[in-house]
Amino acid sequence: MTDPLDLGLRAQAAAIAAGEVDPAELLEATLARIEERNPALNAVVETFPERSREMLAAAPDGPLHGVPVVLKDEWPLPWRAQRFGAAELTVHTAPGESGPYRALRDAGAVVVGIGNMHELGGGTTGNTSVYGPARNPWDPERCPGGSSSGPAASVAARLVPAAVGADGLGSVRFPAAYCGLTGLKPTFGRAAMEGHHMAPVTTLIVSGPLCADAGDCRLLASSLYGEELAAGKASGLRIGVVRDAVSEDVTPEVAAACEAAVEALRAETGGEVREIELPDLEAATLSALLIINSEAARGATPARLNQLSPELSPIARGTLKYRMLLPAAAAAQAQLVRTLMRRRLAALFAAVDVIAWPTVPAPAPPLEAPIVELPSRTSTADQANVRGAALANLTGIPSISLPAGLSDEGLPIGLQLQAAWGADELLLDAAEALERANGRRWVESLPPLAQATTTEG
Amino acid sequence: MEATTDGSQADQFIAAGLASLGIEADEVDLAIMGALHGLLWPPLLELLDMDLGDVAPERCPDLSREPQ
Repeated sequence: MTDPLDLGLRAQAAAIAAGEVDPAELLEATLARIEERNPALNAVVETFPERSREMLAAAPDGPLHGVPVVLKDEWPLPWRAQRFGAAELTVHTAPGESGPYRALRDAGAVVVGIGNMHELGGGTTGNTSVYGPARNPWDPERCPGGSSSGPAASVAARLVPAAVGADGLGSVRFPAAYCGLTGLKPTFGRAAMEGHHMAPVTTLIVSGPLCADAGDCRLLASSLYGEELAAGKASGLRIGVVRDAVSEDVTPEVAAACEAAVEALRAETGGEVREIELPDLEAATLSALLIINSEAARGATPARLNQLSPELSPIARGTLKYRMLLPAAAAAQAQLVRTLMRRRLAALFAAVDVIAWPTVPAPAPPLEAPIVELPSRTSTADQANVRGAALANLTGIPSISLPAGLSDEGLPIGLQLQAAWGADELLLDAAEALERANGRRWVESLPPLAQATTTEG
Repeated sequence: MEATTDGSQADQFIAAGLASLGIEADEVDLAIMGALHGLLWPPLLELLDMDLGDVAPERCPDLSREPQ
């Protein structure tokens, strides 16, 4: 019999609902597993067993009744303010009922811990945090991806079956790709965001699920969205591919795995692959960076910047100050690029159902030196990664990263699919089609640290 | 004056910009900002050079939907 801790989200919820698993025992076992496995990963930065037990005692019979979940350090809980992975924020935060917390609580889930994250959400690797870096369960010397590093590492290591992350420039999708998970970046505005310190100003950041597979993402997303995401069967899928750096300036094994996945998806759905033109992706990436930097400048007065905590990383201190020098004219131009790309995508989505390219151009780099070797150049992982993810945040469209293979070094490779506004369900349908096509090979691959334990019976 | 993006101009821009805003910076801050500037400024200049005069702005765009 499979250890309940090794079950996915749907299976854990079903086992609890059927009376096969006692949720109180599951909670204690989950806390014990976090204690056992987390020291090697630093994925969960805080647990609060008594609060979790109280949450379980009051949990309604919702679709996630009794299931333990990790929440990224980006939203407050009634007993804890978010820290955003940093020693200091430029805005005030306080404990409270955030949107994701309410969504989880009302679905019957139990928040069992806080997931680590890249400091201030400012990186794609997870190697910098006030709590110390999170580590990748596939290789603890590698980056787990960021900024939702801890949520992803928690699920990949099977500490919990699901976690809630946040995605402002790819921060759910990068760690999903690095850790071999499925991660959904919802259409802007569909998923619960209240309580996030940037919620009143952001036009890019969304909450999103990180799970083992698309079905689990669908279940968790239904709670975050406050509406059931109906399952369908993707058929006749028109898959758009671009001949651009995002799909071609990637390592050969990433290219091969993603091309194979696209072909498998086409065959499984009886669809077709269409080459499409999507110019100005570099300008779109820079525009998203400029917009998120201007939105994140809230509260950053000169006086405040002159008193930054010495515990902030040098990169965070420099970035917070440099942000003040970005010209307003460039931010205005970025808004025009946003409009331009939104109109281009609207036209493209009349001709294709999804657009596919690799989530990241290379598998997880070392924590000590997050550098990737691309065909065109040696690059920081941050620079290389963001160009493939920012478009969805800039324009508001949904996007998903799904496991598409393993590298020669045994590291996960992720394929990204993007769809039109509101077509989040289609992305999940397509992800499930790919899972069928490859016999669930990649979503059921486990890192050595999380090999399923079995018991007699 | 001819426009350039060399290192000395970057140093001047950062130092003068921070000073005009009353923001203090030590050597480490300046080194980080210099590196960021080197990465961001060239594409930023290209962005500013883009002719987007024909792009009609979206008034209060609803990012959860396709553009009107």
